[in-house]
Amino acid sequence: MTELWDGLVTALKLIVSLNPEVMEIAGRSLAISATSSTIAALICLPLGAVIHSNKFPGKRTLINIVQTLFSLPTVAVGLFVFVLFSRAGPIGGLDIMFTPVVMVIGQVILISPIMLGLTVSALSGVDKTIADTAISLGASGFQTAVITLREARFAVLAGLIMGFGRAISEVGLSLMVGGNIAGFTRTITTTISLETSKGDLELALALGIILIVIALVINLVLNRVQQK
Amino acid sequence: MALIETVNIGQKYGGQYILKDVNLRINRGEVFALIGPTGAGKTTLLRLLDLLEVPASGSVYFDGMDVTANKSLRLQARRRMSFVLQKPAVFNMSVYDNVACGPRWRREKDATIRQRVSRALELAGMAEYINRNARTLSGGETQRVAIARALAIAPEVLFLDEPTANLDPISAAKIEEVLAHIIGDQKTTVVMATHNMSQGQRLAGRIGVIMNGEVLQIGSPGDIFSTPQKKEVAEFVGVDNILSGVIVNRDNELVTIDVNGSIIQAISDYPIGEEVHALIRPEDITLAPRKDASSARNTFEGRIARIFPVGALVRVEVACGFSLFAVVTKRSAEDLSLTVNKRVYATFKATAVHIIKRWH
Amino acid sequence: MKRKIIVATLVGLAIASLLASFVGCGGGTNPLAPQERLKIATTTSLYDTGLWGYLEPMFEEEYGVEVDILSAGTGIALEYGMRGDVDVITIHDKAREVQFVADGYGVERVPFAYNYFLIVGPADDPAGIKGLSPEDAFRTLYETGSGSFISRGDDSGTHSKEKAIWASAGYDYEEVRTAGQWYVEAGRGMGATLLMASEMGGYTLTDMGTFLSYKSELELVPIVDEGAILLNVYSVIAVSPESNPNTNIEMANNLVAFLTSPEIQELIGNYGVEEYGMQLFTPCAGAEPTS
Repeated sequence: MTELWDGLVTALKLIVSLNPEVMEIAGRSLAISATSSTIAALICLPLGAVIHSNKFPGKRTLINIVQTLFSLPTVAVGLFVFVLFSRAGPIGGLDIMFTPVVMVIGQVILISPIMLGLTVSALSGVDKTIADTAISLGASGFQTAVITLREARFAVLAGLIMGFGRAISEVGLSLMVGGNIAGFTRTITTTISLETSKGDLELALALGIILIVIALVINLVLNRVQQK
Repeated sequence: MALIETVNIGQKYGGQYILKDVNLRINRGEVFALIGPTGAGKTTLLRLLDLLEVPASGSVYFDGMDVTANKSLRLQARRRMSFVLQKPAVFNMSVYDNVACGPRWRREKDATIRQRVSRALELAGMAEYINRNARTLSGGETQRVAIARALAIAPEVLFLDEPTANLDPISAAKIEEVLAHIIGDQKTTVVMATHNMSQGQRLAGRIGVIMNGEVLQIGSPGDIFSTPQKKEVAEFVGVDNILSGVIVNRDNELVTIDVNGSIIQAISDYPIGEEVHALIRPEDITLAPRKDASSARNTFEGRIARIFPVGALVRVEVACGFSLFAVVTKRSAEDLSLTVNKRVYATFKATAVHIIKRWH
Repeated sequence: MKRKIIVATLVGLAIASLLASFVGCGGGTNPLAPQERLKIATTTSLYDTGLWGYLEPMFEEEYGVEVDILSAGTGIALEYGMRGDVDVITIHDKAREVQFVADGYGVERVPFAYNYFLIVGPADDPAGIKGLSPEDAFRTLYETGSGSFISRGDDSGTHSKEKAIWASAGYDYEEVRTAGQWYVEAGRGMGATLLMASEMGGYTLTDMGTFLSYKSELELVPIVDEGAILLNVYSVIAVSPESNPNTNIEMANNLVAFLTSPEIQELIGNYGVEEYGMQLFTPCAGAEPTS
């Protein structure tokens, strides 16, 4: 019990004193996950709208596959991305292994199914008459998609938050393709993993707390936006 | 040239024809009501007229152009019309933003948008709700916002699908007031679907009666109301007395009809032997306690089978060999002390009887 | 409308600054100039002891390069080297190192430091193997099952050495793995395995360096530390440009030269002496130590 308490106290001290190492790692986690979430959102919102508003053979199957991919294990994605971008692999020429760039790419792959699936599901929850009304008022296909997204904004935002949550909390992918390089590709989660395995629980606890706080803040901000 | 014209259009849902051979012309500036019971195909026909659906058969012309199949022509034409749904969906934003959607999508200037929106809201009587979130409105208010939204794009044709069907009488009256105002003020062509005969009569210049996917009769409210061409139309427009018989005699235009033994006299130019329906509106039947020496040719003695109040009137069913339904004011009912089983005489003029051919 | 513009601008700025922080993630002084990088895959025991943390800044400063160190098991390090995802590897498994070079993946095997493995365990020595030879100690553990043994189980250099001791004691490794509950495969790095052994009160094979640097957190003591088989040699191998043309061979060679240079060799030899009272690593500049 004292260990936990001591750990918590040290953790708070590290946070309050803005310990540079802690700040650097936290900043990196945030940067990588925010970037991957943004990229994934930019891909999945329009794609989700397209899938939702069009009929095509195999639509049901596609949605099923996307939903199955919600539970992709992060290490599996990590392995896949590693094999893909390794110098010995098919896209090796880009030379991005063990850099934050490949971590972002990997996270985009990881969270896209969630964002895509939840966007489509959010859009399906919108009354069909909304789209009909928009069309009858003269909206183009694009304008209709935008208004439907607007109507579904709560649920869509929830999907985006979920995607971000998955990105910032994953370890397997970051470890595999990032390499946990000090000062370069260490994130909150990979550091927690490393420090715990070294038995250094204080830093791990501090980072754990920060991760939760970040998640909380993001949630609060997005919730306020949702209210509007 | 008619603004919208359909030639033999039909529509299928799931392999079945739910609309057949409809030939209709909507003229510029007129108010046309499509009347029929629920499920008759009014909404489908409206959607075909608004080019929201492609007909399974036949052709549609808008302003002289054949817009049946050509996607871009349809879009062009559709943009000149707007549609208010039976249960309109308002977007989750302010009333202003809702109404501004149409003009914004057409990329109008901000100043034009503001002007259009306030004018439309004024016409719809919703000006003071301008900043409210549209989702917080009542049914009637939502309907009016939807109407304003449809008007804001300055359409040439305004379609309304059952505008008051889901509303309480007070809200419904308000909507009719708004519609009357719009009709009076704008030069918009209005096409509305309703199952309420009297609403159609009040607002429309021309009526089309549709039942079971077929348009049975088109004409002015007066025509439809007093001279329905088909039995079904008659039933729908509230002609409660439809008697089946055969013409057995004629003297110029005065004919004698045998209705299962009873004799009715009416005005018609159908020949002897013709099988017909005799239609008599309940308001045209007078009731009296004694045989009245009036000029009415048709008098029947009978007993009151049922009495029931309908609003401020009283409907009386008289059994006189066949059933006759009459309608009197409450006052008259009291004055005549009408009670069940009382003996009365039901009288109507020959001119009140409308004869139509009996179709088999 | 205005509010939307403000929000959009803020979001745009946020995204732009995020992406910019990426480009600058090299950590160097000029965030926009692409930094030259050298990627090293190292065995965990060189990393967990802090030796790499000690040497890295020196190398970076001297050669003006950003060094990325991946701490992984020997097995993975060799894999990274074969794929060309790193430019140089530092590991401690002679047989596989020789194979690596023979197969054309590495330029040359250059030993640069050594220490000894030892078997550590709980102070009360439940299996009574203190002072035995490594092979005898293993034999006792196998036959009596009276103490737990925590194996690295991760294809690392240490794991290879463990397997070699079992072989030398006359056992088939596959039989050892399934011998009983006393044999635990941790599947983790040296530090983590030591902590696990300490927690479970079991024995494990470890290199001296990692053991010393973790000692304060462990309730383990040296049990068996004598035996020729316990020699632990660390080598550095540059990845061959013939198998991987994109490898940073120039800087890799610089690293080899750096590690075997007299100044650094001396620093390696002195590393940890003050803190732990004994050498963690003995330098051996390019030559194979004999005992």
